[in-house]
Amino acid sequence: MTEATVETSPTSSGVIAKPELPSNGKADVLILMRNLWKTYDMGAEKVHALHGVSFEVTRGDYLAITGPSGSGKSTLMNLIGCLDTPSQGEYWLNGKNVSEMDDDELARIRNQEVGFVFQTFNLLARATALHNVELPLIYGGIPGAKRHEMAKQALAEVDLADRMMHRPNELSGGQRQRVAIARALVNHPSILLADEPTGALDTSTSYDIMNLFEKLHEAGNTIILVTHEHDIAARAHRIISIRDGLIEKDERIR
Amino acid sequence: MKLIRSDILENLWLALATLRDNKLRSFLTVIGVIIGVVTVMLIASIISGIDTSFTKEVESFGTRSMYISKYNPGIHVGRLSREERMRKPLTYDDAIFLSKLPTIEVAVPFLEITNNFFGQKILVSGGGKTSAQVGLQGTLPDFERAGTQTVAEGRFFSQFENDQNQSVCVVGSKVADDFFPFGSPVDATIKIGSEEFRVVGVLQKREQFLFSGGSDDQNNVIYMPYNVARKLKPNSEDVELMAVAKPGMMAEAMDQVTDALRVRRQVPFGSPDNFGIETTESLISTFHSITGGIAIAMVVISSVGLMVGGIGVMNIMLVSVTERTREIGVRKAIGARRQDILWQFLIEAMTLTGFGGFLGLAIGWLLTLVVKLIMPSYVPLWAPLAGFIASVGIGMIFGLWPAWKAARLDPIESLRYE
Ligand SMILES: Nc1ncnc2c1ncn2[C@@H]1O[C@H](COP(=O)(O)OP(=O)(O)OP(=O)(O)O)[C@@H](O)[C@H]1O
Ligand SMILES: [Mg+2]
Repeated sequence: MTEATVETSPTSSGVIAKPELPSNGKADVLILMRNLWKTYDMGAEKVHALHGVSFEVTRGDYLAITGPSGSGKSTLMNLIGCLDTPSQGEYWLNGKNVSEMDDDELARIRNQEVGFVFQTFNLLARATALHNVELPLIYGGIPGAKRHEMAKQALAEVDLADRMMHRPNELSGGQRQRVAIARALVNHPSILLADEPTGALDTSTSYDIMNLFEKLHEAGNTIILVTHEHDIAARAHRIISIRDGLIEKDERIR
Repeated sequence: MKLIRSDILENLWLALATLRDNKLRSFLTVIGVIIGVVTVMLIASIISGIDTSFTKEVESFGTRSMYISKYNPGIHVGRLSREERMRKPLTYDDAIFLSKLPTIEVAVPFLEITNNFFGQKILVSGGGKTSAQVGLQGTLPDFERAGTQTVAEGRFFSQFENDQNQSVCVVGSKVADDFFPFGSPVDATIKIGSEEFRVVGVLQKREQFLFSGGSDDQNNVIYMPYNVARKLKPNSEDVELMAVAKPGMMAEAMDQVTDALRVRRQVPFGSPDNFGIETTESLISTFHSITGGIAIAMVVISSVGLMVGGIGVMNIMLVSVTERTREIGVRKAIGARRQDILWQFLIEAMTLTGFGGFLGLAIGWLLTLVVKLIMPSYVPLWAPLAGFIASVGIGMIFGLWPAWKAARLDPIESLRYE
């Protein structure tokens, strides 16, 4: 990236309008991003993974983010999921200004507001499916008995009631991803994020997972998923295309 | 307490699972801790054993007894000073003088004649056996009234026998058992040096301090009239004294004995005593200073073990944190705060060393059972408590830095870690 790009970055927050949340009359805004930058300082040069991304997501939406490899999809998802903090810009999630939060507050948001699904599942290998799903509840401070109930229910919702005591290596890829989805949903987050959730699965299993997302969306969940497969993206209601850290296209298809 | 929360049990469960998955590695890691705790257990039980049997033994001499020698009291390390070696001996007359003091009930001299004029052991034979290991003491019949020795069979020799130089003796229980295993030694004949003695009494067996055998054995002793002993060792009048205070007058008796001996031994005013008085109390406190030293050595040895263990634990925890970077990333991604991760690894380290401490307690306990076979001993409650607390504490101290490292990991970077 050139020096010029660095200079065009907004330096005063006065330019940015204070977002009005929640906006009365209009649809309920869940995510509001204003001019978001993510810069990696690689010593000699600065890598701008995102430069000035702004968009909104309303509650109940089903959004797919696509783009070529290295365009900044994962970087954006990590910011949305509060796993990472922006170098610059403003991010409001469910009425809270996330861009100004400290480590512990972000952990709290990740625990309560966000459910994250990864391409490689990221389950704890030594724990049973049930225990994996219970983990967010443990960090949420929910007592044992209630925790069990909630985890069992979440597993039942992804059709895994009969695999609760299995460890990840005793489950198929699709089943593992469903455990991960149950784990993401168990705390009833306001948003479900999935970074290439079908990337490690074969086609038919991918469709099963996509059907599950559809069902979850119909049940009222807000979903954002990253994919570079068109047929997967096409099942969402809205597609954002990213190229070189900028939004190239934002279209509603449903 | 909010910091600890309800997931402490969760973390404990997790830590135990990790331990179960890495049995050998965990065991090797905590060997230092095990050694430390075993040392604490073992030495505590040995000290307690020595302490109880010593205290019991010393107290059986009575709390009113004083043992007086021309040497300074306490433990002697290395050579005695020239002044001390050149001191004039205590005498028979000193004993008689002390016995007439108003606060003194009994005072008797002891003339040790185990070695003859040429420094050779005097042989004792009887019942067809011979020994050079028997302690030989000349004393007065008043010794019986001191109450530290009881006659089990026969009688003590009399003042008359002493005055008449009669070759009679009273033998300790070991002498009786060794020379006359079948039947009573009373009225039997024992040859001491070239002189024949008639046994008139056998003493009650005394409780032994630690190991038995040798000439130090309190039961391997023969008492004979003072005058007879003088005849066997005519060149020496070097005696030790025993004095027993009247009931309730121990302090006054000590003062009177000290004053009397200072006058009789012409100690100039203001100079230190040229003799030493040991009491049961002073012996016990001297002894405690020795066991205290051993206890300090124990603390040093076991803390070296614990330190080595601690460094091992720190190392293995750093490895564990690296191995589980991805797991840490996952946990953070689903909402674990820094303190949650910190506690997870702290508890894991504490569980690890606590497990080492537990093994140490078990092994140490088995070894104290072995010690018990050798000497009377017990394990004082503080030893396992201190051992266990120290091992868990070591886990906490040495686990802190790895746990802190884990807690500070960036979620994204950990998730990307291969
Ligand atoms: N930790 C990092 N340090 C330096 N550069 C980084 C880092 N993470 C990402 N980048 C850079 O930021 C850009 C965007 O990366 P990102 O992972 O968001 O791409 P992506 O769209 O998810 O790609 P893919 O489809 O291959 O997953 C890339 O150029 C990448 O090299
Ligand atoms: Mg990516």
